[in-house]
Formats: sequence, C-alpha cells, structure tokens
Amino acid sequence: MSRLLIIGYGNPLRGDDAVGYLAAERLRELLTGPDIEILAVHQLTPELADPISRAERVIFIDAAVTGEPGVILERPITPAPDSGGYTHHSTPSALLAASATLFGSSPEATLYSIPGESFEFGEGLTPRVAESLESLCTVCFSLPSSLQI
Amino acid sequence: MPRQTIVIDPVTRIEGHSKISIHLDEQGHVEEAYFHVGQFRGFEKFCEGRPFYEMPSLMARICGICPVSHLIASAKACDAILAVRIPENAARLRTILNLAQIVQSHALSFFYLSSADLLLGMDSDPGKRNIFGVMQANPEMARDGIRLRQFGQQIIEGLAGKRIHPSWVVPGGVNDPLTAERRDHILQGIPEAIAITARTLDWFKTGMERFREEIRTFANFPTLFMGLVGADGGLEFYDGKLRFLDAGGHIVADGLEGDAYDQYIAEIAHPWTYLKTSYYKPLGYPDGVYRVGPLARMNLIDHCGTPRAGQEWAEFRELDRGAVLSSFYFHYARLIEILYALEKMEQLLHSPDILDTNVRAHARANNAEGVGVSEAPRGTLIHHYKVDRDGLITWANLIIATGHNNAAMNRGVLQVARHFVHGNKLSEGMLNRVEAVIRTFDPCLSCSTHADGRMALKIELRGHAGELLDVMM
Repeated sequence: MSRLLIIGYGNPLRGDDAVGYLAAERLRELLTGPDIEILAVHQLTPELADPISRAERVIFIDAAVTGEPGVILERPITPAPDSGGYTHHSTPSALLAASATLFGSSPEATLYSIPGESFEFGEGLTPRVAESLESLCTVCFSLPSSLQI
Repeated sequence: MPRQTIVIDPVTRIEGHSKISIHLDEQGHVEEAYFHVGQFRGFEKFCEGRPFYEMPSLMARICGICPVSHLIASAKACDAILAVRIPENAARLRTILNLAQIVQSHALSFFYLSSADLLLGMDSDPGKRNIFGVMQANPEMARDGIRLRQFGQQIIEGLAGKRIHPSWVVPGGVNDPLTAERRDHILQGIPEAIAITARTLDWFKTGMERFREEIRTFANFPTLFMGLVGADGGLEFYDGKLRFLDAGGHIVADGLEGDAYDQYIAEIAHPWTYLKTSYYKPLGYPDGVYRVGPLARMNLIDHCGTPRAGQEWAEFRELDRGAVLSSFYFHYARLIEILYALEKMEQLLHSPDILDTNVRAHARANNAEGVGVSEAPRGTLIHHYKVDRDGLITWANLIIATGHNNAAMNRGVLQVARHFVHGNKLSEGMLNRVEAVIRTFDPCLSCSTHADGRMALKIELRGHAGELLDVMM
C-alpha cells in the first residue's frame, strides 16, 4: 500500500498538455521509497480507482486549458460521481467517488494544475510552463516530509 | 410532415468519433440511415520514406486502445520483408502479448462501454448509463471489469515495458526473453481472471432473455464471416490462414494465405464517411459483405482449443443451426474469447521452452514487400508494406477490422432505426439502441479511417483577405 500516490497525466505529444505527465516522470527520479507510488498516464481511466483506494494521500497533476500560463493552481478534490457517458477519460473527483464505491476508501486528494500556453502537436513545453514544472516538482519533493512519510 | 433527418452526434461509448444520421420520409418512416466517421488519419501516407524497421513502433501510435494489435501485424509484415522465420519462443511470446490485448480490450468494451446498456437497460437514465452508473448499481461487476482490464494491461506492461505504445515487439521477434518472475506473476493472476469471466458469462447468459427484441434486430441478417483459423481449425489470433464462411455456416473459401489478401478482399470508399468498406472480391459488393471479430471467429472455427472456452463455444453454437447472425451476440462471443485468451496464456506460460532466450532473428531486408495478418480484438488486421533497396517504405496499406465491418454496421444502423425509430414519436431509448448496435461491433475508428482514391474532403486555400485561391476536392 502506497501512502502517497502521485498521478501526472496528459498527452506528451501535445505541447503543454504534457506538463502533468512530465512532472510525474521527473518526480519518479526525485522521490523513491516503498510508501510512494508515481504514475505517468495519458488520461484518467476507471482502473486508477484501485491504486487510489490503496493510498493515504493522492496528488493529481494536470495541465489546464484556461488561466495564466505557468501559474500553479492548487485545489482540494472531493469525490463526485461522473454524470457524463464515459468513453476515454475520467476526472479526479469521479475516480475518488469510484474508489469509495468500489473499494471503500476515498483518500484526501489535491489537484495541481498548470495552465498551458500551447497545445499544438509536438513535444516540448513553452518556457513559462517548463519553469512551473520545476517549481511544482520542488513543492512535491517536500510532500513526503510534510506528510511524515 | 416534411422530410427530416435525425442526427446522433457523437455516438457515445465507442472508441473514436462518429455520428449517425437517420433520414425520415414524409410519413416519418425511416428511409435510410448512415454511420459517419468524420475523423481521418493518414498513417499510410506519412510513413512513406521511413525505414521499415521503424514501422512497428510507428504503427503502434495509430491507437491508444489497440497499439499491441498494430505492433503484432506490423512486425509480421516486417518479418516477411526480412524473409525470416522468427524463433519459436518469440512467436509464443508475441501470442501471449496479443492475447493479453484481447483480454484488456474486450474487458473495456464489455464492462466500460456496454455493460451499462445490459445492466441498467437500454431505456435507463442516460445520465447514469455509463461505467459510473454500473458502479452504483452493481459494484461487483464494475470491480470485475476493472480487475480484468487491469490484468490484461499489467501483462502487456510486464512483457512490453508499457501499456500504451510499447516497443518490445520488433522485426524478427521480440527484444527480451521472459523472466521466471514475470511468468509466475502472470500465472498467479489467471485463476482470478478466469473466475471473473466465468461469472460474467453466467450473468450474461441468464439475462439474454430480456434482450429478445434487440437480438432479433441488432444487425441480424445474413453476411459472410471472415477471420484467421488455426491449422487444426481452432481459434487463432496470431497465426493461421483466412477462412470465409457464409450465413448458412458453409465454408466459402479456406486456407487463404494472408499475403494474397488482395485477390479476395477489395475496398470501396463512400462519400459520407472516411471509413472504407471491405468486401469479398469474388462475390462483389454488396453480396460479398462480411463481418469480422468475435462473432465471426466463433462462427468460423471448428473448435475453440481450450477446455472451458470450448464448452462455452459449444453452447454458443447451439444458438443457431448455421452461423449465429445477430450482432448482439458479439458481446457473448467477446466473453468466450476472454476465457479462451486466459486459458491459452496459461497453457503457453507452462510451455517448457517459454524462458528460452532465443527470441530474435536478425537479417537485412531481403524482400521488397511484406504482409502481416493477425487477429485484433475487433477482427482481422492486415498490414502490407513495400520497401526500396535501402529498406525505406515506398507504399503501405492497412486494412483494419472496423473497416471490414463497415457495411454490416451501416446495415445494422438501418435495421435498428427502422424497427425502433418512428418519426412522429421519439424517445431517447430508441436512439440509444441505434448507438448500441454500433457498440456491439466495438468499432475503433482512429486507425480505421483512410482515403481510397476519392476523398470525402474539400480543401480550400485562402489568402490573407479570405479570398479563395484554390479548391481541391
């Protein structure tokens, strides 16, 4: 059972949309230990409810379409069932709800999102978003000690 | 009343983006219905000029759902260009990977995309008719779906390095042999996965009676069926030869070599969709329309090849004296195939040579072209490449499972619309059934769309001031 689960998600081939995915990949190098699990995924899918249910604390990292590019936004996530017709992706709230319904556990969760500047095809972040990725990694790096993991 | 068109856009709970249009006459009767696929990808064109050995990893990027299927068919086409026979254990490992793909993709289709229709009902609240509604109504079923898909994906990740766009399969074999630890880990999970599949099959069979009307009208008509069949007539996903069967259950053609596909398969393009339609060449279009995928495979084979799936298959074949024609039974066939895939993986993993480290043959390009055929979750997948003297791709053709089923899907939409949709009184449930018939086929559209000669596309070139400079049709 991981005490801290970090899920970074996005499309690594769509410019700044990659920021969550890349943050998770970077954090994998920085944060290691038996109590930490880090997943870099393209999108949120229902099977993530399983690892979420086994964590004490979950951090989601994603790009945002609106907002000042590069600004790191932080907000708590609470469980809420998804009312849309699932086809390819889900939301952090819906996954927390699924985790509670299916596995009886809904851990405390936070979403860090970084508004992007460009979502065009191709690899590489725009400068402001790349800078924010570094800052966000610093924030996440201190999480295990603040959570006493 | 005036003539009207009902448009369902987008079609939900399928892989890819599409719409359905239903055309009503003056009396409100359904006159015609179409399944439109508006997305377009040009993989066949932009891979030209690339070295052939890049093709498996390039082709895997066609789709996030079935990258493994493309990896396998592409690698087989490249094997043919190398002119090598890959080591036996490489074929065994590729087969396991392909079967894991069958498990995860079929689980996605059944549990995530269609179980809401089956569990909650075709007329249930559309706001809850999704996997999260299933979680509320039947948590055990939702958990089962999640576990089964997870299991298939974990096998893929364990063998190939990652779940999406893995690069373990290469021309000539696979990159690394299997470790004992990995083998044991997969074997450990198989009993639970079989138990999940067996109880889901029982649940499905018990509930089929509720869907008598859907069974009767969901793309339930005579067509041919096509797919790979093993040398002994058994179910086959990796190797084998192609067989065509008619609606009466009679073999039309058998033992067909994949590399001669263009002698018996032809394609046509329609102006309303980017999805091409394949047909059996000797019978022409539309007489040569056929279906592929789980339903077709269950109809084509002489036996299943594993004990529990074999029993289920025998029961399935009791549904009809000839071929089983209703596309509603794709769901049923999908579950039997999951069971087969799990049993077959177990057999293969117990093979004494499964840890053999000879898993790759090395050669240069020795043939100017190569064809790779395999069975993807949705049906037969064909990759055909031509290369120049330097091994660079000069031409590529992909025939995708969803394209084989295109004509049947369109006919199915019309059949369901004519039965359930009446222009003077519409209900959401009626229209959901029009979508649900498409879901039975589990189409995956992103890789299946490409142009054949005439494109259903108009390109306008405009200057800064918006003036029209040129038009290409």
